[in-house]
Amino acid sequence: MCFATKPTFMLVPRYDSPGDYHMVDQLPNLGREKEMLDAMGMSSIDDLFADIPEAVRMTEELPLPPPQSEEEIISDARRLLGANVALGDRVNFLGAGLNRNYVPASVFQLVTRGEFLTSYTPYQPEVSQGMLQAMWEFQTLISELVGLEVANLSVYDGSTAAAEALTCAVRVHNRKAEQKDTVYVSELVPPSRRSVIHNYTQGGGIEVKTLRHNSDGTLDLNSLSQAAGSCGIYVEQPNPLGILDGGLTRVKEIIGENTAFVVGVAPVSLGVIEAPGNYNADIVVGEGQALGSPITYGGPLYGIFACTKTYLRQMPGRIVGRSIDVDGKEAFCLTLSTREQHIRRHRATSNICTNETLIALMGAMHMSLLGPEGLAKLAQRNMAACQLAKQKLSEISTIAIPHRNNSHFNEFVVELPGSAAECIAYLDTQGLIGGFDLSAWYPERKNWLLVSFSDQTKATEIELLAAHLAVWSTSLVQGVRA
Amino acid sequence: MSHLFEHEGADGKGYSQPDPVAPVDNLQIPSSLVRAKLPRWPRLSEPEMVRHYTWLSTRNFGIDTGFYPLGSCTMKHNPRINEVIAQLPGIADIHPLQPDHQIQGTLAIFHEMQDMLGICAGMDAVTLQPVAGAQGEFTAIRCIQEYFRGRGELGRTKVIVPDSAHGTNPASAAMAGFEIIEIPSREDGRIDLDALRAVVGDDTAAMMITNPSTLGVFEPEIAQAADIVHEAGGQMYYDGANFNAILGRTSPGLMGFDAVHYNLHKTFSQPHGGGGPGSGPIGVKSHLAKFLPGPVVKRRPILAGDQLTSVNKEWWYHWHQPENSIGKVQQWHGNSGAVVRCWAYYRRYGRELKTMSEHAVLNANYLRHKIIEEAEKIGVRHLFADGAPVDVVKHEFTISMAPMKEECGIGAMDIAKGLLDMGYMAPTVYFPLIVPECMMVEPTETESKETLDEFAKKFVEVLQEDPEVLHNAPVTTKVRRVDEVYAARNLTLSYPFDE
Ligand SMILES: Cc1ncc(COP(=O)(O)O)c(C=O)c1O
Repeated sequence: MCFATKPTFMLVPRYDSPGDYHMVDQLPNLGREKEMLDAMGMSSIDDLFADIPEAVRMTEELPLPPPQSEEEIISDARRLLGANVALGDRVNFLGAGLNRNYVPASVFQLVTRGEFLTSYTPYQPEVSQGMLQAMWEFQTLISELVGLEVANLSVYDGSTAAAEALTCAVRVHNRKAEQKDTVYVSELVPPSRRSVIHNYTQGGGIEVKTLRHNSDGTLDLNSLSQAAGSCGIYVEQPNPLGILDGGLTRVKEIIGENTAFVVGVAPVSLGVIEAPGNYNADIVVGEGQALGSPITYGGPLYGIFACTKTYLRQMPGRIVGRSIDVDGKEAFCLTLSTREQHIRRHRATSNICTNETLIALMGAMHMSLLGPEGLAKLAQRNMAACQLAKQKLSEISTIAIPHRNNSHFNEFVVELPGSAAECIAYLDTQGLIGGFDLSAWYPERKNWLLVSFSDQTKATEIELLAAHLAVWSTSLVQGVRA
Repeated sequence: MSHLFEHEGADGKGYSQPDPVAPVDNLQIPSSLVRAKLPRWPRLSEPEMVRHYTWLSTRNFGIDTGFYPLGSCTMKHNPRINEVIAQLPGIADIHPLQPDHQIQGTLAIFHEMQDMLGICAGMDAVTLQPVAGAQGEFTAIRCIQEYFRGRGELGRTKVIVPDSAHGTNPASAAMAGFEIIEIPSREDGRIDLDALRAVVGDDTAAMMITNPSTLGVFEPEIAQAADIVHEAGGQMYYDGANFNAILGRTSPGLMGFDAVHYNLHKTFSQPHGGGGPGSGPIGVKSHLAKFLPGPVVKRRPILAGDQLTSVNKEWWYHWHQPENSIGKVQQWHGNSGAVVRCWAYYRRYGRELKTMSEHAVLNANYLRHKIIEEAEKIGVRHLFADGAPVDVVKHEFTISMAPMKEECGIGAMDIAKGLLDMGYMAPTVYFPLIVPECMMVEPTETESKETLDEFAKKFVEVLQEDPEVLHNAPVTTKVRRVDEVYAARNLTLSYPFDE
């Protein structure tokens, strides 16, 4: 991974004439250095760096390309990014926890307002009421969505939200726990999220044990009792196979009062699916992206974090509270900061400082436009597409749908007569982004394809997928027979 | 006052959606999971929604609004072309699980960013995965932890941080399971080598430090500090929050560091967005490279059979998993949208990133000089002290309002509120913790001389202000001083529907 040779920047054409520095439009004081140095009684820029000992000075120019103008940059960006296959260029069935919902134009227009875009964390509440109120409203929207009393104003993403929830659960429950420093995580949680959980929990000496599932993809409630007395459990609804698991409503009675029930949600599903707070979840986390944000190659996203009051003082992240100003007028400010790193330092509940506020703001805007009924409709559209696909694909005799009798949100598993990787490669040649090869998550599942559907999926696209899957799988089955 | 939750329009007013692709009267939902009651969300038409958020935006101060000298945060102008690029479908509408051949353009940009960041910091390998500075710290400390585990040096359980460190440093190391040893700084704010020598040993895993320090002062003895830590067998970690001061002039690599995080949302102009998103890549020396979170982008010469794209006729870009990777800190590839913005930013400067840093330092020194000059002119110089008594600062500087507090009871927070009344964002206050009544000023390179001249004048005007006025400040803002104690005592963290 070291640079074996001096890196070359093949991509950059050389346009410039020497000394023609395009960044002149970014630096107001370019050309005025002498005037400013004179005022300070200095003779050169080097004087400003005289405090850097010679031994550590960089003596050569940075081996980087010359400056470019805005026009050249956008033209390079268009060429490079234009070479990518965008999801919208194809018929897309790839999701795996990210969801390509339509985000209304007004969200994008408003979020680029400089007052939002170019502000920092609202340390001075008197001039930051806009973002503070927007985030307090965001907390309310999330709290209502998941059915819990409090929400913060975002953590990095769904995976760190899950990880932070588990460390939070340990802080709250460890003292009384029979299984000290122990949490349980569903075996279906993909390795990428598990890995984040491992990195966040290993430092605290927390052991992450595994929760088993039944062959139909639902949580094995019989073995769940082993988690009682631990600090917390983490499961997802819908689970990573897209399954909506009715059994989760019985989890809390099995694990008991002193074990945190942490549920990871797909927020859009909550337009039709019960809020986990109403089946006694203690902490609800999730990937917020589907509300408000494009997929953007997996980031920036925003992590949802909500909980009951029991966990409030051990929560990670920033929280806005309502207050008053000296005239008694309603005003907002950051609150409960004594949990945070800038005050509590190494005893903080989390190291998080910069979070995902602007993406959460996009979420709030999208939620405001949807309203309750709009959310329900959005959830129904997602679910209807998934259900229609399940029906169409189940008509193909050469493939199987292993969890067919379960209900699904956004995605389900198709069992193929051959490898999912090969099927995806075939679909690629037909202009389809065919889904996700689940052997990347579950190595023994070579033939499992995870197909995803969103509000953007059209009936004709589902027909197309069905037709191509039929052709591919039939030729494979006949090939094997012949 | 407008409340989102007071909008109660007709059903689903905001934007019309097409009908579902299939009937929804028989959606398969387990009966125990049917949602009983929809969330109490507001109902807004598009014009109402647009007006609400536009109204909120008018109650918020950004760099676009005015001078934002918030120390340690590098509030530089955010070029708008970066926003346009980040909305291109080739980044906004791609999925992290697409195969390499569909995303050669993004991988090429990432590869270029890894190289560029490595070059600027003098590091051998870079990952773009961490999504903020604090996560970068945590990631690097995890790599160092695995490095020592791999060598069987299990007794290295302590991380040293100076008392001037940002709170995320100790918090990140503690999250990885390390014990924190805080060492005092010298009287002048600089690193105390004797204090360092006194605590290093075979239990030292790493020292975390930023240079220039959080006082905006370059640590001339940084190489010696690195030697002390290395001789004890520990690793040196560079907090890159202050990187804007030194690009092209020195590098963490030259100073003897083993690992560094970059705050792309500071140095490379990813907009702060009211608190995020950021991007916090890390760079490491070769001995730590195999522990980086995976995957990272690599390239190889194009082979027959590769699907050619317009990206490049010579190189094929692909994801690669480092041999002993610590795994993941974000489940995909980090804040890719931010990385692309910052790529556009760096292309603007290219090798002249050095000029960028020079101007950041020029502006900081000029402003410091001007404030002192103006203060002397009107006889208020005695009201504040230098946070660190040095000839030159780097990209920011600290002043202590302790003398003024002593004289008339006016401290850093009152001055900050006075500056809000003047139409400025206030500098960072009460950080670093080692400067009493601290104000930390970072003008950045994108402010004009006139803005700095004007601010210097206004700053000393505030010092002359009647203490009573400052106690009452601000008065020109949308709300007046907000009662933070009230907020904590009367926790109202969401809209009180029943009030
Ligand atoms: C000196 C210093 N270190 C680290 C950080 C943490 O970076 P982030 O907020 O991106 O997590 C900051 C940010 O405020 C900082 O100023």
